Parts: sequence; C-alpha cells; structure tokens
Amino acid sequence: MRLQGKIAVVTGGAQGIGRAIALGLGRDGAKVMVADLQADKAKGVADEIRRSGGESDAIEVNVANESAVKRLAQQTFDRFGRIDILVNDAGIYPRALVVEMTEEDWDRTINVNLGGNFLCCRAFIPAMRAQRSGRIISIASSIAHYGAQEGAHYAASKAAIVGFIKALAREVGADGVTANAICPGIANTALPRSHRSEEELIQRLRSNPLGHVLEPEDFVGPILFLASDAGSYITGQAINVNCGSYMV
Amino acid sequence: MTQVALITGGANGIGRAVAHRMAAGGVTVIVADYDHAGAEKVSSEISSAGGRSEALSVDVTVGREVKALVTDVARRHGRIDILGNIAGGSFYTKRLEEFTWAEWKEVIDVNLKGTFLMCREVAPIMQKQKSGRIVNTASNYALTGSPTRIPYSAAKAGIIGFGKSLAQELAPYGILVNTVAPGPTDTPRVMAKESAEARRLRWSDIPLGRTAKPEEIAEAFYFLTTPESGWITGQTFHVNGGLVTP
Repeated sequence: MRLQGKIAVVTGGAQGIGRAIALGLGRDGAKVMVADLQADKAKGVADEIRRSGGESDAIEVNVANESAVKRLAQQTFDRFGRIDILVNDAGIYPRALVVEMTEEDWDRTINVNLGGNFLCCRAFIPAMRAQRSGRIISIASSIAHYGAQEGAHYAASKAAIVGFIKALAREVGADGVTANAICPGIANTALPRSHRSEEELIQRLRSNPLGHVLEPEDFVGPILFLASDAGSYITGQAINVNCGSYMV
Repeated sequence: MTQVALITGGANGIGRAVAHRMAAGGVTVIVADYDHAGAEKVSSEISSAGGRSEALSVDVTVGREVKALVTDVARRHGRIDILGNIAGGSFYTKRLEEFTWAEWKEVIDVNLKGTFLMCREVAPIMQKQKSGRIVNTASNYALTGSPTRIPYSAAKAGIIGFGKSLAQELAPYGILVNTVAPGPTDTPRVMAKESAEARRLRWSDIPLGRTAKPEEIAEAFYFLTTPESGWITGQTFHVNGGLVTP
C-alpha cells in the first residue's frame, strides 16, 4: 500500500477513467473524496471503496463553478484534514465542427475541461504549499497531440491542460509540489461511445501498435506511480499511455 | 516465474540504482559492465540484501562481446524479460572543434551503438517469449543540447529516435520499448567532478530546486518494467525535476 493515509480528491470520479482512478487510489491505501456532477454515481464509487475496507466520501461538484469548487476544498479539509493528491479528471466531450460550433459549446468545453483544472488547483494548492508536499495529476488526452475531427474545442482544452500543468510545475516546484498530466489514448469509456457505432469504436480502439483496447483500469498504474514516492522527481511532464499510437 | 533483467552500466550511478531497484522487486539481475570489479561489488550488495544477482563483463561497443554476453545469459537463465541499457556517459566537455574523430566515435558508440547492439541481440529472445521490456537511457541534453557535450547530446537524441522505431518493430510481439531521460543526477561520476555547491548553482533553475538521487531515476526504470505500465510504449519519461518539459 504505497499511499497509506494519503488524502486524494478525484474530480470526475463517478465513471470511466475517473472511477477507475478513485478505486485504484482506494486500493493503494488513500482516503478518497469522489467529486462529480453526478452525485448518485459518485456516492456509489465512494460506497464501493468503503466496502473494500477503504475510506471515502462523495460530493456533488461542477468544477466550472467557483463556489462549488470552494465547497469541495472545504468539505475535503473538514472530512479528511488535508490534501495530498489532486486528480483532475472531470471533463466533457461534445462534438461539433468548428464552422458549426456555437459559442456556448466552446465556452462550456473550455470552462469545464480547462477552467476546472484552474479552479481545483487554485483551491488546493495553498494547503499543499503549507505542508510542502502534494501531487497534482491532470487527465489530458492523446487528442491534445493528435487533434480530433469535430473536437477542436476538446483538443484545445486538453492541449491547454498540458501547457497549464507545465507552467504550474514551475510555479509550485519550490514548495515540493509536483504537477503532471496523463494523456490517455482513446479508451473504451462512455465518452467516445456517445458519437460512434459500437463496431466503429472497437475497430478504432484496437488500431494501435499493441492491438489492445484500452480500458479505464489501464491508466490507473501510471497515476499511482506519479502519486507515490516513486514519482518524486517527475514534474511538468505529460505521460502518454496510448499503446504506442503516437510517440512524442 | 522469476523475471530476469540484464542491466548494462550496472556497476555505478544510475545503473547501480536500477539494479538494486529491480532486485528489490524480486527480479534476478545480471549486472553487466565494462568495470567488472564494480559489477561484482553491486552484485554482492544485492545478494547481501537477499536478492538474486550475478556480475558479467561487457564492452557494449563490441558486437561479439555483446553477443557472447546475451547468449550466455539466455542459455543459463532460459529467458531475458528486461533489458536496461544504461551504459553510457558524456566523457568529455569541450568545444566541437576540439573533438578528435576517435573521441566522437567513443561517445556515440558507448551510448548509441551500445544500445543498438544490446537490443539487436536481446530482441530475438524476447520475440520468442512474446514478451519483454526494453528501457533505454537518454538525457535532458537530448532535448536541450549542450555547447560542450555535442556528441553526447546527439547520441542521446538518437536513442530517443531509435527507441520509437524499435517500439513499432517489436509491438506485434508484445515487447515494450521506452526511454528514460534523466535530468541532473547525483552520481559518483559527476559528484567527483563538481562540488555540491557548484552543482546547486548550476542547476538553480530546476523547478523542484534540487538535483536527483540515482534512486529517484531508478524508480522510472522499474515502473517501465512492471504490469502497471503495460500499455506504454515508444515513450520518453523525462525525470528531471521539471527542468525540461517537452
């Protein structure tokens, strides 16, 4: 148990990759605050962690809402007393061509995906600074590097997360806090399923050098590595977990 | 089944730390180095700590030595699960026009050709197993360059390109190839050349505010051999305290 006694917050922890991360952190000994817009599902994940002998709580939060994020931080401190690991996973992936994209589509995607990173980091960094330790891990996407048809706003938000994390690493490094991003390859989750046929999806998911369909669980190991003592000298990096589908 | 790791440059510095980390993870570690006495020392340290290890000599720039080493390990252990190519070094710090052809070749060969020769011999064994992990070693200089380490920067950048290509070649066999690019690390070799104070000043722009311990670099090598990194290939892990964020 590498993370025994550590306090972790996972935004977007109710489903998909976020859920797998929350459960993985719990298995490795961390106490996990599961934060998500979908309160019932978040509670279900927290229940699952508790049933396996861990400690966890759930909270409803819209990461693009400043006061909601403040509440998330306050409730985390009230419930667990500190913050060691912040995983920014909350995100949305609406689809639109740029020429047909509404300003509302654009704002919502950027505000949730990128703005959520900003608000959550801003809310938790003072506590990490004060204790002179902390791990921030943001979930970007392979689309940050690769782009995606009908996903320019999503690609922009994810590439911006990588830039944000690199800058943040320089800002908080002197205080012993690391900040990294994970760029998952396209995975078998609810996000891409909403706009592709099942057959199309599986074929696309398998078309990588390793011929493997990435599942949410496949990203947990790299997150635990970065969150644990083993990741102590890694900061400002974007780690690609994509079966070799591209190499940067 | 106990995994078998072949670690070049295992006698000192980062290689030694990687050998220790793998052994602590239950892996049988073959410490291979030009410095045989050093390899023997690391191997006996591992054995004393309850691990499994042996020491072998190799000059990674000599094809027949590499072939003999790999053949010997494969014959006696029956498999090679992990190859850590860590033998390397910058050796000289001077202007390009001062490099002799022999010095240039020495730096390129120990770092880049050694990585090629080791991979060429070990890959067929891993292909038969339909599994394997190769972790090569680059450097922050591969990305930033250095006015006084030009062949070293070239060799290390070459290792990144080589690794991406090999990752594609070996992916169908379930073999993963990745690269660790360490930042400034407190190895005995560099500490002998530069005082701690001089190092602190030279690296004052590292966001984490300090240089690395070899053990911190070793963790990245080890991670890239575990099931947790099973879907990472062709990538470079920059373990540099935020110095370079490509």
